[in-house]
Amino acid sequence: MKGLRKYLTPFAPDQSGAVSVLYELGGIIVICDAGGCAGNVCGFDEPRWFSHKSAVFSAGLRDMDAILGRDDKLVEKLTSAAGKLEAAFAAIIGTPVPSVIATDYRALKRMAEKKTDLPVLTVDSTGMSLCDEGAEKAYLELFQTFAREDQPVIPGKIGVLGVNPLDLSDLHAGEKLERLLKGEGFEQVCCYGMGAGLEAVKAAASAEKNLVVAPSGLKTAQLLEKRFGTPYEVRNPLAEAMLPEIDYSGKKILVVQQQVSANSLRHALQKRGAGEITAATWFMKKGELAQPGDLRLTEEDQFEALVKNGGFDVIIGDPTLWPMTNGFTGVRIDAPEFAVSGRLAAR
Amino acid sequence: MRDAICYTARELAERGRDGIPEELISSTHLIYSSPATLAFNSPGAEGFGVKRAGLAIPDSVMLIVAPGCCGRNTSLISNLPEYDHRFFYLMMDETDVVTGRHLKKIPQAVEEVCSSLDTRPSVVMICITCVDALLGTDMERVCRRAEERVNLPVRPCYMYALTREGRKPPMVHVRQSLYSLLEPRKKKGNVVNLLGHFAPLVDDCELYDLLHQIGVKTIHEISRCRDYEEYLTMAEANFNLVLHPEARYAAQDFEKRLKIPSIELTRLYQIDRIHRQYQALAAALGVNFDDSAFLAQAEETVHEFQQKHPGLTFAVGECMNADPFELSLALVRYGFRVSEVYGTLSGENFVYLNRLAQLSPDTRVFSNLEPTMLYYDCSEAHADVTIGKDAGYYHPNCPNLQWNQDRQPFGYAGVRRLFAALDETLTKEDLQ
Repeated sequence: MKGLRKYLTPFAPDQSGAVSVLYELGGIIVICDAGGCAGNVCGFDEPRWFSHKSAVFSAGLRDMDAILGRDDKLVEKLTSAAGKLEAAFAAIIGTPVPSVIATDYRALKRMAEKKTDLPVLTVDSTGMSLCDEGAEKAYLELFQTFAREDQPVIPGKIGVLGVNPLDLSDLHAGEKLERLLKGEGFEQVCCYGMGAGLEAVKAAASAEKNLVVAPSGLKTAQLLEKRFGTPYEVRNPLAEAMLPEIDYSGKKILVVQQQVSANSLRHALQKRGAGEITAATWFMKKGELAQPGDLRLTEEDQFEALVKNGGFDVIIGDPTLWPMTNGFTGVRIDAPEFAVSGRLAAR
Repeated sequence: MRDAICYTARELAERGRDGIPEELISSTHLIYSSPATLAFNSPGAEGFGVKRAGLAIPDSVMLIVAPGCCGRNTSLISNLPEYDHRFFYLMMDETDVVTGRHLKKIPQAVEEVCSSLDTRPSVVMICITCVDALLGTDMERVCRRAEERVNLPVRPCYMYALTREGRKPPMVHVRQSLYSLLEPRKKKGNVVNLLGHFAPLVDDCELYDLLHQIGVKTIHEISRCRDYEEYLTMAEANFNLVLHPEARYAAQDFEKRLKIPSIELTRLYQIDRIHRQYQALAAALGVNFDDSAFLAQAEETVHEFQQKHPGLTFAVGECMNADPFELSLALVRYGFRVSEVYGTLSGENFVYLNRLAQLSPDTRVFSNLEPTMLYYDCSEAHADVTIGKDAGYYHPNCPNLQWNQDRQPFGYAGVRRLFAALDETLTKEDLQ
């Protein structure tokens, strides 16, 4: 049945993706909710929350605020907080409540900017889409607001988009990417939102090249190419480390990961002699990154049928999928996706 | 560097219950999200929130009908063995919000869930969230449709975070839902229900003994019911003891529908107050309680602790099984210092705060939820030991007793266990 989940808990929502992008950048982040969404975003979807303080707030909406559309009260609360805190910007992140009452984010942004004297970003997340969509919107809003034109290109500088714990399932993704990319010859690596802060975002035009490691970063890479002429490449250098050393030659393999990781795994598996590889994802499937036969999964039934009828020898995916692979006799390779199960990769 | 805003107990007492500063009133400011506020923002993430509480009826299952974000953290609970195959989700999308079509799918979803299980559930709880609150969904009616389809009780469970500071917050509502399945039965004079918690009282709680002293044979707690049939026998009780204020409405329902009256008791850590409360209960029931042995044991435990750990300074949070202001007052009355309290102050707390202000006027009171808690600096106040998960977060290098276990401390047993646990925490720290 469409929408019914019997095995899997819901995946990380768009609001979590948006917060994940902005978490380290020194802004006041207001989750426009009654409290539960902020609890979910921080307590479950933001692994940095337990070790790294950030100014994340719930708007503390109550029924009458929603019924009467009291945006002015939210702006008042934000203005009061902005007067007490040191912040470079404010961001208002949507949830189901503003989605149902059709909050006018543009008006909210204008009102809040006027009152707080801070740049205000808004992300119209709904809690009904997935984290990569929220992250995509947040990256776009961030770079559209802050990236400056007047930056000369610095040879050897690379910007990395799509680096966040939800897309890469790794709390040390920023450091690892920096090490790997420096090993490839880049002198300066900016993993936006995970290591590189707001100043790096402002200077994004100076990157010689951008690397997109998750679909959530693709639109922003395209925007930066259009605005500054910065070329981009799409691959996840961290993906190959998911593969254990087994014999893949001639094997029919199903890879279930976010699309860029799945493509990078496909590439690595092909080098190791794998046979037919199907890349599937529970998240965004970008047309320009897809190959024929690639799949976007939405329902449990769909995944069960794929496994049952696919004749795969190997499945690479989050371990929470395994209860839906009854009857599969091949090899299951654990590749946790934080946005699916809330488990970080142990690598 | 900026400072976290706080007030001393004396300042707050002088301002009075009508003059609580805005910084300590959560509805006037943004709610800071830190690990210290998780239990406030997302009660289900730790302990019992609506989802876990809604499954208190034995052999029940829950269908969460909501946008994906509302069910996201449920995997934390689903991983516990007792909740295996008990949570299911019907995910709403934007079309559902606009057209309300998800409501038509619920009966079919309930049927699919029931048929996927090896054992037929006793009840299906339908958990709905803020979205349906705003849509004005008549979930009672939808549940009746689902009941017709599966021939099982189907009950709504409202996780309306938007109403958390209203007359009937979600945790009040869920307690009403849980007991709504009880039907009138013949009363038995020796049966009592304990209402309020979703896990039992600690086994050595003297309340059981005191009730047995006066001839009570059966003491029901929903969490101790082995099966659905035993749960239904809660309708046979002679009276209810309400152990948590959020169960008041449920108790009123008992009175109205099942003609079972109730008496409310408060969890306290001041031994003399516990004694007085038991005396009042005995008077209300027209009996006598002999609690002298339990009282002496509690006093002895506190005395031993005082001897072993004299002059301790505490920092007390609110993420634990106590009222932070009452517990702070108890600690001060036992001769200890309380440097800081992290709590949500309401008019009801002033009965403790006023006394605390007399005995310990410089105790500083913070609200976990206030934005400037981002700048809280533990070096500004001394603490030898902290109580509560939130207090532990603020003083990471200090011995911490979380005191937020599911099994509920109460009465003299609560006092005994608290000081035993504090002793264990401090002794462990000494050994390290």
